[in-house]
Amino acid sequence: MDLKTTVSIDEENSVARVALTGALNTDTAPGFEQQLQKVVAGGHRLTVLDMKDLEYISSAGLRVIFKAAKQTKSAGHRLAAANRKPHIDKVFEILKALPDMAVFANDQELDDYLDSMQEQVRGQ
Amino acid sequence: MSRSITTRLIVLLTLCATLIIGVGMLVDYRLSRDSILERLRVESQETIGSVIIDLENLLDGVEGSTLFLARILEQRSYTQPGLEQMLKDIVENNEDIFGASIALDPAQVDNPLGFAPYYYHKDGILTYADLADQQYNYRAQPWYADTVAAGKANWADPYFDEGGGGILMTTFAVPVYRLDERNQRFLYAVVTADLALDELQHYLKRLKLGNSGYATMLSRTGIILSGRNPDNIMRHYSEAHSDELDNPAWQAMFTSALAGQNITRQLECPEIAGKCIIRMGSLKSTGWPVAVLYSEQEILTPLRKFQAKSAILGLATLLFMSLAVYSVTRRITGPLTALALASDRMARGDLDTAMPTAKGDDEIARLLRSFTAMKTDLKSYIADLETATASRSRVEGELAAASEIQMSMLPQGGEAIDLHQEYGLWAKVRPAKSVGGDLYSYYRSNNQLFIAVGDVSDKGVPAALFMAKAISLIQQMASAETEPAAAMAQLNNALEAGNDNCMFVTLFLGVLDLNNLQLRFASAGHTAPSLLRAGAVTVIDQDDGPAVGLATNLQYATNTLQLAAGDRLAIYTDGIDESFNEKAEMFGFDGFNRCLAKTAMAAIDAAGLAIFAAIDKHAGTTAQSDDITLMLLQLKPDELTSTTKPEQAATSFTTAEHLTTRALDWLQQALESLGAPEDTHMVLALVTEEIITNIDKYGGLTPEGIIDVKVEVSASSISLEIRDQGIAFNPLVDAIRSPLGTDIESAEIGGLGVHLVTELTDEQVYQRIDGHNVLRVTKSVSEGTIS
Repeated sequence: MDLKTTVSIDEENSVARVALTGALNTDTAPGFEQQLQKVVAGGHRLTVLDMKDLEYISSAGLRVIFKAAKQTKSAGHRLAAANRKPHIDKVFEILKALPDMAVFANDQELDDYLDSMQEQVRGQ
Repeated sequence: MSRSITTRLIVLLTLCATLIIGVGMLVDYRLSRDSILERLRVESQETIGSVIIDLENLLDGVEGSTLFLARILEQRSYTQPGLEQMLKDIVENNEDIFGASIALDPAQVDNPLGFAPYYYHKDGILTYADLADQQYNYRAQPWYADTVAAGKANWADPYFDEGGGGILMTTFAVPVYRLDERNQRFLYAVVTADLALDELQHYLKRLKLGNSGYATMLSRTGIILSGRNPDNIMRHYSEAHSDELDNPAWQAMFTSALAGQNITRQLECPEIAGKCIIRMGSLKSTGWPVAVLYSEQEILTPLRKFQAKSAILGLATLLFMSLAVYSVTRRITGPLTALALASDRMARGDLDTAMPTAKGDDEIARLLRSFTAMKTDLKSYIADLETATASRSRVEGELAAASEIQMSMLPQGGEAIDLHQEYGLWAKVRPAKSVGGDLYSYYRSNNQLFIAVGDVSDKGVPAALFMAKAISLIQQMASAETEPAAAMAQLNNALEAGNDNCMFVTLFLGVLDLNNLQLRFASAGHTAPSLLRAGAVTVIDQDDGPAVGLATNLQYATNTLQLAAGDRLAIYTDGIDESFNEKAEMFGFDGFNRCLAKTAMAAIDAAGLAIFAAIDKHAGTTAQSDDITLMLLQLKPDELTSTTKPEQAATSFTTAEHLTTRALDWLQQALESLGAPEDTHMVLALVTEEIITNIDKYGGLTPEGIIDVKVEVSASSISLEIRDQGIAFNPLVDAIRSPLGTDIESAEIGGLGVHLVTELTDEQVYQRIDGHNVLRVTKSVSEGTIS
């Protein structure tokens, strides 16, 4: 199974949204890493990995996400995951992966969060 | 003994003392000798001096009297009787003078024979003789003729007087001259005084030094006037001892003495053995040499005697000192020698040997007391040790007997195998100590099989005694006909009675109805049994009650378990899952269940022993801490209902590109065709990917390297077996595992794969076979899966 990646960027709110479709495995991880690195290099305040259509993830995929999480964190930004399917969630859970990473169960939660971010920006 | 302290001390001290005394004596000898010789020299000088003065006085006296008479005759004329009278007075009043004469020149008298009266002492009587005798002819006598010829007073050489005295004598003669009318000097007379040589001898005898020393006097011509041997008197000295004397030396001395010198020489002497010392001088008036001879040897005799005494004294001192050292060191080393002998005897095991007694409070005494105390302590220690050893071996013997008795309480003595057509039963107890508190029991009545497994709290003897009580009660009260829960309650009350020590038993009681394979059981706090069915292990859910023996009137629930042919039920005590290794890690329920699954294919006794072996392997060098009991109940597989062989598929992959995609695509197809439940697919894919990725990354395979993958699907489980020819590597043990649950900042990138493999499968076994890494993982289907 292949992996398709769609990147959409909301410059106004400095939010990058990376949607994953297919399998993030040893074979697809290197390509995904390149794309994600580009996005992270964009320096957005928030990068959201949308896993709504992600069917499969292995440790090779998690490695890429760990790396990106570290980079965004050290730059003072955030990396979040949204719409994890139960069996993807299970892999994260088994590996107790990144307990401090923001996770949004569905689009609604994500939207609410984005709204509150906008509020904060306006408030400043 | 030659090297003993005593000998060494004596030798050393004696040598030192000898040296000191010897040097002292030598110094003393030299000093004493010198001082004695010096004293002797002074003494002899004084003696010689005084004798010579006396001699000089004597000679002066004779000379003086004679000269005085001569002076009178020069000036006055006397009648012949007057002259005689005057001569008589002189001889009579002068004892030193032997005889005296006034010999007138014959020209002065009428008588052609002359006039020469002579008075002398003959045998003490004053006697008169007339020397004017035809025969004697005094004018021809040397004393007259020589004196007249010399024209002055002189001492004649000694001679034997035939004129009157008839003795050896010497004569002082003085010529008397007068003046005639024409003032012409003419000889009037010669006046003489005789001196007996005996008189000189009398003086010289005083010069006696030592026993053999003597004095001698010579005339100016060398005639011996006085000496030791009277025979030599009037003989020339060179003739007297011609054989013995070193004549040139004597000649030299003699000549020097005549010249008025005092000389001392060491020479061979006549009449004295060895060397002698000669001191020679001469009389002033007569010029006669006088010599004193004495033996140095003899003079030094007292010194030698003194030295001999000193030497004897020194030797005696040394002897006494040696004796003293010997006695002192014996007193010191005596106890030490005795101690050494006693120690030897002690070393040979004779602890009753007598020790030397300690006197006083010196170092030796303290050593002796320490040894004595040590001996006593050693003796009591050995006695204690013997007692302790005896009692321990008695206890050990008793424990061995107790162990035998205890095991005999269990069916088939602690390790049972009971095989029937419908079932097989294997059980084994292994106490942590000689005796223990674990128990099992079984017995069949018709088609009811009663089984029991129990574990008494604590271990060792207390547990064993309580276990004996428990097993007796179990065998009395519980049976195949009794309901397990009721039997448990009854047992509880029986064990509680009088149980002041609050011992308790966790107990599993079960009755299996062999007609319908239904197991009814009750559990009093006992570990839940594990059921091995179709290769998978399930822990039986049980409704258990408290351990028996602590409180009365407890109720226990009856559990019912429907077993099937081929099932294997394992009932065990907590000594198995709580078996620790060196790292204090427990064998655990999982460990046990994995082990049970792994031995599924083995016969029950072999499987049971393999599980025991696995526990031992886990424990390593750690001693067994608790009693261990395992009972395996195997229901024989029913031919009709036996499980079929698992379906399997296998393939090989090279490590070329897209390995993961190729492998997962194949796996998907294999699982579908083998009919594996759909919800297992993703888990198996994940596990497969992690394993082969690991091999690809770390196995060191060439691009043509092969990875074999085999998948087996049975009703209860799915197994994956993955083989590779890479370097030996057990991912379960050797792979890097990053810590889980860390936050973003400290999370490690990578090291997650092995976590997934172990978490997502139920069993993982790694083996190195024929140069291959073989990793076999099994996923149980009956247990929950992802989704």
